[in-house]
Amino acid sequence: MSVSREEVLRIAQLAELDVDDETLPTLADQMSRILDYVAQLSAVPANGTVKVFVPGPDAIRFRADEVTPSGLAFGPDEFAPDFKEGFFVVPKLGQFE
Amino acid sequence: MSDAKAVADRLVKAKRLNALLTPPKDLRKSLVMQDAAARPTGVLYGMPVAVKDNICTLEFTTSCGSRILEGYRSPYEATAVAKLKAAGALIAGKTNCDEFAMGSSTEHSAYGRVLHPLDKTRVPGGSSGGSAALVGAGAVPAALGSETGGSVRQPAAFCGVVGIKPTYGRVSRYGLVAFGSSLDQIGVFGRSVHDAARVLSVISGRDPRDSTCEDRDPLRLPTVPESLQGFVIGLPKEYFPPELDPAVRRACDRAIRMMKELGAAVREVSLPHTPYAVPTYYVIAPAEASSNLARYDGVRYGPRFNGATDLRGLYRATRGQGFGAEVRRRILIGTYVLSAGYYDAYYRRAQQMRALIAQDFRNVFDRGVDLLFTPTVPTPAFKAGEKLADPIAMYMSDIFTVTANLAGLPAISLPIGRVKGLPIGGQLIGQSFLEDEMIEAAYALERVVPPTDEA
Amino acid sequence: MSWETVIGLETHVQLRTRSKMFCGCSTAFGAPPNTQVCPVCLGLPGALPAANGAAIGLAVRGALALGCTVQPKSIFARKNYFYPDLPKGYQISQFDQPLATNGTLSFVSPDRGIVNATIVRLHLEEDAGKSIHDRFAKATAVDLNRSGVPLIEIVGGPDLRSPAEARAYLLTLKQLLEYIGISDCDMEKGSLRVDANVSVRRVGETALNTRTEVKNINSFAFVEKALTVERDRQIALVESGGSVTQQTMLYDSRENAVRPQRSKEESHDYRYFPEPDLPPLVLTPEFVAEQQSELPELPSAKRDRFVAMYGLSREHAAVVTATRAVADYYETVAKTSAEPQAAANWVMTEALADAKDHNDQLRVSPAALAQIIGLVKGGTLSHQAAKRVFAEVAAKGGDPRSVAESLGVIQVGDTNVVAGWVTDVLGAHAPEVGRYKNGETKLMAFFVGQVMRASKGKADPKLAQRVLEEKLASPS
Repeated sequence: MSVSREEVLRIAQLAELDVDDETLPTLADQMSRILDYVAQLSAVPANGTVKVFVPGPDAIRFRADEVTPSGLAFGPDEFAPDFKEGFFVVPKLGQFE
Repeated sequence: MSDAKAVADRLVKAKRLNALLTPPKDLRKSLVMQDAAARPTGVLYGMPVAVKDNICTLEFTTSCGSRILEGYRSPYEATAVAKLKAAGALIAGKTNCDEFAMGSSTEHSAYGRVLHPLDKTRVPGGSSGGSAALVGAGAVPAALGSETGGSVRQPAAFCGVVGIKPTYGRVSRYGLVAFGSSLDQIGVFGRSVHDAARVLSVISGRDPRDSTCEDRDPLRLPTVPESLQGFVIGLPKEYFPPELDPAVRRACDRAIRMMKELGAAVREVSLPHTPYAVPTYYVIAPAEASSNLARYDGVRYGPRFNGATDLRGLYRATRGQGFGAEVRRRILIGTYVLSAGYYDAYYRRAQQMRALIAQDFRNVFDRGVDLLFTPTVPTPAFKAGEKLADPIAMYMSDIFTVTANLAGLPAISLPIGRVKGLPIGGQLIGQSFLEDEMIEAAYALERVVPPTDEA
Repeated sequence: MSWETVIGLETHVQLRTRSKMFCGCSTAFGAPPNTQVCPVCLGLPGALPAANGAAIGLAVRGALALGCTVQPKSIFARKNYFYPDLPKGYQISQFDQPLATNGTLSFVSPDRGIVNATIVRLHLEEDAGKSIHDRFAKATAVDLNRSGVPLIEIVGGPDLRSPAEARAYLLTLKQLLEYIGISDCDMEKGSLRVDANVSVRRVGETALNTRTEVKNINSFAFVEKALTVERDRQIALVESGGSVTQQTMLYDSRENAVRPQRSKEESHDYRYFPEPDLPPLVLTPEFVAEQQSELPELPSAKRDRFVAMYGLSREHAAVVTATRAVADYYETVAKTSAEPQAAANWVMTEALADAKDHNDQLRVSPAALAQIIGLVKGGTLSHQAAKRVFAEVAAKGGDPRSVAESLGVIQVGDTNVVAGWVTDVLGAHAPEVGRYKNGETKLMAFFVGQVMRASKGKADPKLAQRVLEEKLASPS
């Protein structure tokens, strides 16, 4: 099953990844082969009764509703790439607002 | 003081491996400070432990082998790291790894590949190649790595050291940068089973910050057994295919013989869904990764790259330039298998297959088998560049390791021989939360198997 | 051409907890930006969620109050999309296995009496941070204090038939959630947000037509305006031969208009999958029973009880049960004074009027108001005087009787003293007495007025009238 270049671009858009024209064909090819490879899974009967398996505890633990210290050794002003007047700063969305 | 200096010296001596990402100057300075502050009553007092660069530390930067976190100083530390420090250990720098733990050779790091400690033309394995190489070179007695599909056991096997993957939920993941959340666990490398097990014991146990970490006491270490009397060891036939590398087969046969001599009962078993394990893994892991890596958008941390004129531009520039090719590929695969129209055919189907794989193990353990023994990797360390052209060829390196991650089971790789000087690893897979039995058997095996003998 | 509007509301409600949904950061409103944050709600590498048990409890209470089926097991899921105020690049929410399903909200529609609107589902999720677009030129400011605050999303079915009805539904929902104390439901503060699904069809049609989603509605008043504008737009569109396209419309309150949200991705593929960092949400019968026991009497039940117990009309009962605070206040006053009707009158007029000007504070204690009612009943205060006393106690506090004394408005209820004034008045107005005895009984009001003048307003008018009647009845 082949992944078209249009589909690669659509998926890339969802993932906010740019794909340049040069790498697009190789990427489409690689993705097609990987997806063909994992499509072996369709050998499993599409049995609705097979439950999914998730390791770990069976049920969520409830945390007490208490305000606790942040555990931050230093604040966003020290690790943020652009921080002004207490806010994270990002360029505006081009098309609206 | 002199301890810290000696530790630093040993690590710096191994510089040529490119296994350590921490600059020597920073390393020395920090080790001196840590040494002064270390708790003398701690059970790991003075033990230097290197930490894979996808685990958050306060002492050094955390880049996950990626440009997108280049220079990132985490404002908090992983629970496992805090536990090491509380036990008096020294955090001996951050180790190089495949970017965001995605890879099986540590050739996908943005900071250059890691060299195999015994043969610089070969890979140390991955994704925790840096940690494995440092322990293999004798630069540190122990190191933390992480497992998603075998990223501790496979490099342990390649580098001739011990590598343990705990049961899922045994060790807190708080502070482990997430790749495949339902598969990830922090694992431990050691020169010996005892070194690795000691460190695992310290970092294990409950953590309210990690909802997937079980509410259990830390792992209690077993004593070294006199024999393997009473142990039933299963040999899953799917892990000993006809095309298995002859040297690996010889080393395994020898180890099996020795286990029998120690009194273990050995039995052939079957895990019939094994052929589907790698495809299952390569649906689930990328899917979870595509979501886990969405937070790397240049907004709140990490460097900003050129080309960000508007918001979408910021995202594209950051993620396009910050992520390497393998990471981008996996994010795209993951996004695809979760997207509308494909969820049932891929992700849901893979989770069902996962249940069947886990059931295979339960069936075998329910029939009186205590542990499984298998080769860790189909081959010894391959040459750098050998598997880069075809992603799937690289993925096949995980064939014997991914099943334990999918089923959430503990597993340990220990050196069981060499072929032309290259280490070969043998793997024990244990039952859920029964690491002590697994470690007990590993202790026994370690005492009798000659790890550096040609197989 | 007769058109029918079909509206369904999706309401997001912030739960009143001390800490956030998945971390221990404070949820307090109004803190300086990015000061109530931690690795979890900042989406730092390696951070993991830990669920707030109180939030879960409040969500279950909301579900129970809405008559929903509470699912013993539900699953958290990731909703994946990119936005600067969504730190992880996904929101932890619930998708195909929500906490609760199938409830009802009964409310009084201004158009057609009681409507039982369906509640399709109620689920738990975390809030996003805030993006501020007008603080910096060409840049967006992001504050993550709100990121991670617990929310419930309440999805109503397409059961509403007018903008006014939508407003009534929303007010009833707000009242219910305030009553059970799970949220402040303040649209100005953002603790209650609403998005509306709107479509139109010809009267008599049963199928649903294409709907739009209306967002950015920031007050109850704007709910009705925004929906009216969108309904009219759709009708005009269809009547002129066009067709409604499925899109998101943003309400602009300044222009009172809606405009399409221009966004590159019209169809969002959220790629929902179960949250691997959280085990299933399992609710034991004991836990659910505990939440049930924590529920107070709900508004509708309280209204019914007030009608039965205190003889109030439905309308009056509705007023005094508008909020739990007022209802509890009324009930205390009614019981203490043993005058439920008078208590209702006082609460509906003086107490609520005063509260409106003073931040909804009921400044006169129930005990004091009950006392005032007693003083009026016993003739010590005229109704006018009592209102003065009420105002004084509201402003300055104090015991009503003492306040009445210091204001000098205590009525004289001593029969002898009143008789004295009566005698004086009758003596001074002999012609009127004669006319009264000849049948002009309406002169009684005149005599009472004269007694009030003579007493400088202090006479108990009812007592004065009684004494007058006695004296005028006896021949002399």
